[in-house]
This record gives sequence, structure tokens and C-alpha cells, in this order.
Amino acid sequence: MPSSAANLLVLVPLLPLVGAICTVLLGRRLGPRAHLPAVAGIGAAAVVASLLLLGTVNQVGCGHREPGRPVESMDAVLTLWQWASVSDARSGDLPAAEAGIPVASGVVDNGGAFSIPIELRLDPLTATLLMVITGVGLLVAIYSIGYMHDDPGYPRFFALVAMFVFSMSMLVAASNFLLVYVFWEAVGACSYLLIGFWYTKPEAARAAKKAFLVNRVGDFGLAIAVFLLWMTYGTLNFHDTRLADGTFVEGILGQTRIADESGYVGGAVGTAICLLMLLAACGKSAQMPLHVWLPDAMEGPTPASALIHAATMVTAGIYLITRSAPLFVGCPGALTMVSIVGATTALVAALIATVQNDLKRVLAYSTISQLGYMFVALGTGTMLGFTAAIFHLVTHAFFKALLFLGAGSVMHAMGGVIDMRRFGGLRHVMPITAVTFLIGACALAGVPPFAGFFSKDEVLASLHAKAHPDAHGSDHVEAGSAGERPADSFSQLGVAAPRPSPFRPASMTTRSARWGATGEHGSTTEKVGLDALDHPSTWRLLFWMSLLTAGLTAFYTFRAVFMTFTGPVRVPKEAGHHAHESPPAMTTPLLVLAVLSAFSGVVLFFTNALSNFLAATPSLNAPAVLATAVTHAFHPDIAIQGTLAAAIGIAVAAIGHLGRRSDSPQLERYLGPLGTLFANKFYFDQIYAALIVKPLEALAMVTAFFDRAIVDGTVDAIGQVPLAWGSAIRRMQSGLVQRYALAGVVGVLAIVLALAWQLRP
Amino acid sequence: MIPATMLTNALLVGAVLFCLGLVGILTRRNLIVMFLSAELMLQGVSVTLVAWSRYHGDWGGQVLVVFVLTVAACEAAVALVFVLQAFARTGRLDASAWQALREENLPRVIDHELPADDRVVPTWPHLSPAGVLPEGDDSRSLERDHV
Amino acid sequence: MDPVSTATAAPSGLLLAGSVAAIAASLWLLLPKASDTVASRRLGFLLGAVALVGFAATGRSLGCVGEDAVFLTVAGIAVISGLATIVTRSPVYSAIWFAMTLAGVSGVLLVLGAQFLGVATIVVYAGAILVMFLFVLMLAQPSGMAPYDRVSNEPMLAAAAGAVLLGLLTLSIGRLSAAEPPACCRMPSRAQAVAAAAVPADGAAAKDDESTTLIAPATAGGDTGDANEVAHLGAELFGRHLFAVEVAGVLLLVSLVGAIAVVSRGEATETDHRREGR
Repeated sequence: MPSSAANLLVLVPLLPLVGAICTVLLGRRLGPRAHLPAVAGIGAAAVVASLLLLGTVNQVGCGHREPGRPVESMDAVLTLWQWASVSDARSGDLPAAEAGIPVASGVVDNGGAFSIPIELRLDPLTATLLMVITGVGLLVAIYSIGYMHDDPGYPRFFALVAMFVFSMSMLVAASNFLLVYVFWEAVGACSYLLIGFWYTKPEAARAAKKAFLVNRVGDFGLAIAVFLLWMTYGTLNFHDTRLADGTFVEGILGQTRIADESGYVGGAVGTAICLLMLLAACGKSAQMPLHVWLPDAMEGPTPASALIHAATMVTAGIYLITRSAPLFVGCPGALTMVSIVGATTALVAALIATVQNDLKRVLAYSTISQLGYMFVALGTGTMLGFTAAIFHLVTHAFFKALLFLGAGSVMHAMGGVIDMRRFGGLRHVMPITAVTFLIGACALAGVPPFAGFFSKDEVLASLHAKAHPDAHGSDHVEAGSAGERPADSFSQLGVAAPRPSPFRPASMTTRSARWGATGEHGSTTEKVGLDALDHPSTWRLLFWMSLLTAGLTAFYTFRAVFMTFTGPVRVPKEAGHHAHESPPAMTTPLLVLAVLSAFSGVVLFFTNALSNFLAATPSLNAPAVLATAVTHAFHPDIAIQGTLAAAIGIAVAAIGHLGRRSDSPQLERYLGPLGTLFANKFYFDQIYAALIVKPLEALAMVTAFFDRAIVDGTVDAIGQVPLAWGSAIRRMQSGLVQRYALAGVVGVLAIVLALAWQLRP
Repeated sequence: MIPATMLTNALLVGAVLFCLGLVGILTRRNLIVMFLSAELMLQGVSVTLVAWSRYHGDWGGQVLVVFVLTVAACEAAVALVFVLQAFARTGRLDASAWQALREENLPRVIDHELPADDRVVPTWPHLSPAGVLPEGDDSRSLERDHV
Repeated sequence: MDPVSTATAAPSGLLLAGSVAAIAASLWLLLPKASDTVASRRLGFLLGAVALVGFAATGRSLGCVGEDAVFLTVAGIAVISGLATIVTRSPVYSAIWFAMTLAGVSGVLLVLGAQFLGVATIVVYAGAILVMFLFVLMLAQPSGMAPYDRVSNEPMLAAAAGAVLLGLLTLSIGRLSAAEPPACCRMPSRAQAVAAAAVPADGAAAKDDESTTLIAPATAGGDTGDANEVAHLGAELFGRHLFAVEVAGVLLLVSLVGAIAVVSRGEATETDHRREGR
């Protein structure tokens, strides 16, 4: 099974790549059918991904499982080829040790060999994400057939979408931090190209540039994190490898190291790695303070916004943190920072979204807010938190793609107008869009029993568990004996089991990192620095922030619904005769996504399939994570709180907007100066302009002046010297041949005289 | 065979003739006189060659002089044709009439001071007219624009 | 090494330097210039004479000769006429002076013992080439004295360059004679030279002997003033250098054809030009 599954795994990135290449090569010839290669490639990849998912489920099993039962972690690695190999990347000893950086245990000094294999991995996390990427990608591609028709860049769009699916699936399938970095950049490049798809529009070009530059900050963080990882762990592979000479190299996220409780470096270096990764995740997943690019990215085509900027690419940060869970768990301060960033972002983005009038921008800020939710869940560092984040990621991919495609459908019908104040009563004009949008809105707002309700509930539950550890304490005790590491997991890898490491009941208090301050909650040691943030009171605050965000989410979602689809029918004049329901190519994906948004949550929650399935991921199989596994339960108190918040939000939205003309006076007028603050997006752009852009521009002007006046001036002055010589000497070019002959004779004479002088007796 | 003293004397004569010819070809602007100067240089060379030939008792030098004579005849024939063509174009036998090789933005070199014509009265040999007298207007500038 | 040459080295050097300066000044004064005056020309002639004497004296001190009056006469004619050729304003006079030079040169050649070349120079140059020059002058010379005949191009620098070159040549010739075997210097007169040549003195003479022996064994040795000199030269030309002679003949033909071709094409241009001009 692993080998065949691994072989199939190659197809998932390969098919969209082939589709992209075919589209590039044949695009012009295919004309209006240019979507065929890309859609076929992504579709085939989706089929393969579903097969892989089924196979993995078969292997791991996702049935209801007792928390005490050991979970078998599973991964299968496929090495395609060796990309780069440096035999002496470092000389002799580990550089980290010389640089004073702590070296993780189990690092084999293999003489400094450094190699980057192109290796793909299959584990539950990858299988899940591959399914989401290819599935949503396929639906969006089909939708785009209707949405993008008659666009002059039709083939280009599909080539880019296929290219993006390729990059994203490689990103989640790569088994090496350097490969992750490569495709991290690749999805950024695809995003840049798609935001700037209508590059003749200045706003689109500017938005693309902004997205690229802001992402660059995060990518910088990832690059440094990768360097630090290599210096600390001596490898960049996720999985354990056995070299040709028999050396066993523990992968950073390999099963050996994960099982080893002292395998991860904590302290300053560990925290630095985690915070740099958090910076990278903030850039890609549009968290504060790097969120400013996502709203502007709405200048791109709506399908691209749905695919990249709502459903898949922005979840790369979530994926990275989940994948690196063992690293984060070793640094509670960094984990808490993840949650703080997430909660703050969620709240701020939700506040901004309440006063936006551009439908796509409302959804963009909602995306930022929901990603913040996922970060909050990740930051808890518990099994429940990680699985909740991925759960929310999946459901969010469905309903946010649905909402974006619905918004695109509205925009398509309204002749490109997206300002909600100019719409009204569109449910009469485009009923399918209205119904599906409403389903998506319910899911986003957390209305039971739609998907968002359950995933949001899990997020809140994970927060609540951290905020009130005593209330959930019994779970911890039970979990203490959990997680006997399976011995046969190594046979899957084909490597011999490493040195026996008797697994001790690994509650977080007994786990001690070797370096630096490792205080955790419940620990008797004094917490210092960032780790001091990890305190129940902090989590309590974060919980209430998240709950407030839930209410705001419901408010702005339904505000958008009411403004767009209810009230008297108003259609902007740009729509002309175009105001009708969208073609089937566009409505079919809407319907599919609506069904998923409606039912995926309830199915996944009550079967608990997703969390059990994900628990088999090696990263989540770390003792510290396993220790936090709790019995899956429905928390009525938290559910009631969440539902109440959503109900209040919807009620306020209904009071303000239901049945009114959407351009009538808005609720914002009651907000006073706060409304201005929200409408101006907390002045983030202005602050960045003042603090970063303007000083940089001034520096650029100074350097430009230096370049032109001094550097160029020097070069020009040097260039003047031969010119001056030339203008002096050219006067001798009189054109009189006799003077030339005379010059020749004088020259010969000079030579003869010199010779005579030299040969004198 | 000639003695070494004769050799040095002959070489000296050859050197003088050569140098005079050189000075002539460098200074005189009349194309005909320049050619005469060239022939003068050839004469100097011929004298030198013959002197060495006689000194060494080797016929090679004298043979070479025969060839020099031949080539001089060829050269004179071709070159004089060119001189005639040049005269046909400018109406003058002036080597300085051609200045097209000069830098583009430099002015033409023009003789500004000329000696008075009356000091040397040319006395032409009384030959019967054998061709059309070329028409040149000395009162105009020394230079013509066309080349 | 050689007592004669070492004894005369210093005065010879001074003499040479003076002669070079004199010939340069003389040439400069004599060459056509805007600032010519009768006095300057006379001074030029004077300096030229002084320089000639100086060079002759140099030659004397170098080679201890000069007693050959015939050689001195013809050499003087050649040199003075050559000087006159390049300093005369009128090209016609130049040509006539050049004819005089040719006469002097042919005399020098005769004295050197190259009878055929001496005659050939007169015949070919004075008889053919010079006449051609005069024809061209007749065709091309504008009426009156042309302005460009009255000025020279860079007279001072060119005169200095020529004089320095002459000085260098003289110096090297002097060094040459100083390096000669003393035997040569001890044979001042022509008669002695002829007598000495009869007995091969060195390798060069032996080689010469051999070559002449090959051609005319009966008259080996007495080549100077030899009645068979022309025959020897002819045998040499059409023997060893037959191919070169043929090539030279082809060259003559080619230049003839070329000259005609250029003239015939140029005449159309000339007539065109005339038609346009008038």
C-alpha cells in the first residue's frame, strides 16, 4: 500500500503541471476551449487525491476511537530524485555548536553532507489538504469556464490556475523544508500573477505588487527559519532517512525524533525558529501585521480570489504551523503568540468588515478573520486545537469558496459592479446564487447545523480548555497514559527502529527541553519572557475575543446578505440586459459547495472522522500533543455561547438592514469615530506608508541622487578624459597626406635614433 | 670590384640623393615635383645598390636596379595618369587639394600667407602648344569646395 | 681599433653635426616659402655649399678618398642638381634639374663600373620617363606660377628630418668603413684596387670570382671597366633571374593596360565635369 500510494502521489502535482504546460503551449490554438487541459489535469488530480485519501483512511482508520488507545502514526515517503547534493556543506563539526547555537539531540554528524532530495510524503494531513486543494481547485476551474469566457487572457488564466494547484499540492506534499520554501515562493508567484491578471488596470498591478512585497517579509522569515533549522538539526528532511553509508539521520519531523521527548530544542533558538515561522505564516495567511495585502488582492479575478485568497493558499500558514507542531509545542511562548496574533487579527478584521461596502472586501476581511480563528486554535498547542484548526480550514475552504463564487456570480451578473449599496433584492433576479450564498453565510456565521458552526465550536472548545484547565483536567490525567508509540511504524519506512526510547507518560510538565527556559503551565519553574504569556488569564481573554469575533462575523455576513439579496429589486445600470442568473458552469460549483458547506460539518463532527484521521499524522503524534488528546465531546455550554453570539449578530444585522434600501443610512452612523476607524481599516495602510514606505522612498531618493550625481558623475568625468584627449589630438587629423607622411618619417627617425643610441659603441 | 673608399663615397652620394628626395616629397605640393622627388629617392637607392654590387662583385644589386628602373617606369605611367585625373577634377596639381581624410568638424587647411607672385617670374620654355591650356582662376580662393 | 678612424672620430663627429645643421638650414631657406627673400635664398645656397663641402670632407675623413676627380665631379653634379630639383619653384625647371641629376647619377654609375646601368638610366629616365613628365606638365600646368608651387608643406620640420636622416646614414656609413678590414683602406687608388682585385683578398672577392668564372671564365678578375660587363649582366638577368624578368615584363604590360583603362574612363569623367562646370 505505501508504495503504490506513493506512486499515485506523484500524479497529484504532475497532472496540473502537465495541464498548465499544455495550456501554455496550445492555449492560442484551442481558443475558447483553452480551459480543457487545465480542467482535465486538475480533475484527474482531484480523482487521484480522493483515491489517496480513501487509501490513507483505509490504512489509518478514522472510526470512533478511545482516547486512551494508541494512535499509529503513518507516513509514506517517495523519493523522486536527488536535486542537490553538497558533500562538504560544513566542515567537520556542526556549525551550530561553534556558533553557540544548541544542537538538537540525535543529530548525526555525517561529515557535513547536505542533500536536497525531491521527496513527497503522504500522511493524513497531506491527504486531507490535497483533497481540499484539488477539489476546490476543480470546482473553481469549472466555475471559471463561465466566469472568464471572452476574456482575452482566457488561456493564461487557466494555465495560472493549474500552475497554482501544482505548486500548492507540492507545498503540502513536500517532505523537506527547503522544498516547502521553494513552493511557498511558487504559490506566492502564482498569487502575484493572478492578482495582477488584469495588469493593464493600475489598481490590479499595484495590488499585485503590494501582495508580493508584503509576502516577501514573511518569506524572509521562513528563509531564516530554514537556515536555523539546518544549523540546529543538521537536516531539513521531515522524515528519517538512512544514508548510503548506513548513517541514520533523524528527520526534523521524523518518527524517531517526535517520539524522543528531548528531541526538540527549546529556549531562545527554538522560540526564534517558531516566531520566524509564525512571521512566514502571517505573511502567507494574511495575519496582522502582514494582512494588508489580502483585501487589495480582490482586484484579481473572483475565481482566483476564491481559490487562492480564500480557500487554499492562505491556509499555507496553517499547514506550516500544523506540520511543525512538535517544534511549536516545545516553545509555549511562541504558541501563545500564535494565538494572540490570531485572536487580534480575527477581531480587528471582523471590525473592519462590519463597515465595508464592497462585497468582495467584506469576504476578504472575513477570510482574514477566519484565518485568525484557525491561528487561535493552533496556538493552544493541543490535539483538539490542531484538529480544530484543520477542521475549520476544511469547512472554511468550502463555504468561503462558495461565498466568493457567489459574489463573483453577482458581480458577473451586475456588469462588474461590486458595491453592495447599489444592489438590492437580487434574490428575485438570481435565485440559485441567493440560496447558495445564504447557505454559505449561515456556515460562516456559525448557524447550526451548518459546517461553520461545528468547526467554530471546536475552536472555541479548544480555547476554553486552555482558559479553564481545571474544568478539563480530568481529560489530561486520562491522556497521561495515552500514545504508546507504535513500533511497526518504522517498518513502513523500511528503516530499522532507532534506539529504544521507552516512552514515558509525557505530560507537558515532565517533558523538559534541554535548553533554555521551558516553563509551561503547571510547571513549578518561573516563566520568563514570552513564555510568561502562556497563562490561563491570557487564554480567557482570547476566548472572549473569539466569541466577540463570532458575533461580529454573523453580523457582517448577514449584513452583506441583507444588503445584496433582500429589499426592493435594484440593479445597477452597468448590468444592462445582463442581469440574469449565471450559466450552469457557474451555478453547478455553487450547488456542490453549498451541499458541502451545509453537511460537511455535521458529518465530520459527529463521526469525529477528521480528528481521528489527522491524529495519525506524525507531527501530531508527538507525545506532548498526544498528551492533550481528550475525549471527543460536544460541549453544549460553548455551543450555546457561540450560537448566542451568532444570533445576536444576525439580529442586529436584521434590525439594521433587513428590508431596507441598501443605500439608506447605515448602522455605522451610530459608531461615531469608531466607524471612521473601521472604515479606514485601523489606518494600517497609512501607518505603513508613514513608517516604511515614505522613509524607504526618501532613502531611495537619496541613493538615486548619490548614484546620479556622484557615481554617474565620476564615471562621466572619467569618460571626459579620453574625449578631451581626442579633441586635442584630432586637430592633427588635417587630411593633408603630406603631413601624415612627415609624421611617419619623424616616427621612423625617432625609432632609428633610439636604436642608434642603444647600439652606440 | 671597387675599393671600400669608393663604396663609402658612392653610399654617401646615394644617401644624399635619397634624403633630398625625401625632403622634396614631404614639402613640395606640386604632384609632379613630388613624383620627381620620388624618382630622386629611387636614384639614391640605385646608386647604393650598384655600389654594393660592385663592392661585393655580385650582380644581384645591378639586376635589382634594372628592376627598379622597370618598376619606376610602370609607376610613372600609372601615377601620371592619376595625376592627370586629379588635375581634371580640381584644375590644380596641388597635393593639399584633397583633405577629405580630415576630421569632420575641422576646417579645411588654407594657405593664408602667400609670397608675392612678382618675385619669381616664370619663364616658360618655348614649346609649341600641344594641348588645351587648363583654365584655372587664381584670383579665387586657393581651395575649391568640390573634390 | 683603426688608428685613422679613431683619430678622426671627434672632429668627424663635429664636422658631421655641423654639416647636418647646415644642410637643414640650407634646405629650409631654399624651399619655397612665403617669407622668401633673395638674401635668404643666397644664404641658403651658401649654406648648401658649405654643407656639401662638409659632407665631402666627412667622406674624406671616413674613407680617405676624394682624389678621384671624375667621381667628385659627377657626384657633385648629381647632388647639386638633386637639391635644385626639389627647391626650384617651377615644376618645369624641376624636371630639367632632375634630368641633370640623372646625368650625374649615370656618371656615378659609370665611375662605379656599371656601364649598362649608367646608359640605361639616361635612356629610360631622361629619354622616356622625364619626357612623359614634361608632357604631363604641359597638359596640366596652369598658366603662370601656381600658388601651391610657391609654398611648401612644413618646410622646417621636413628639412630637419631629412638632415637628421642624412646625418644618421653618414654616421652608419662611417662606422661601416671603420669596421672594414684595414686592407681596403690601404688601397686608395683605382689602379691599386684593380690590381688588388686580381688577387682574391677575401671571401667576397672569392665568391665574385667564382660567379664571374661561371659566366665568363676567360675574363675572370678584371671586371671593372670590363668590356663584357653588359654581357655578364645580361647572362645574369636572363639566367638566374629569368622568371623575375618575365614578371617585370608582365608588370609593364599590366601597368600599360591599367594606365590606358584609367585614362579612358577618366576622360569621360573629365568631359562630364567640364560640361557641368562650364
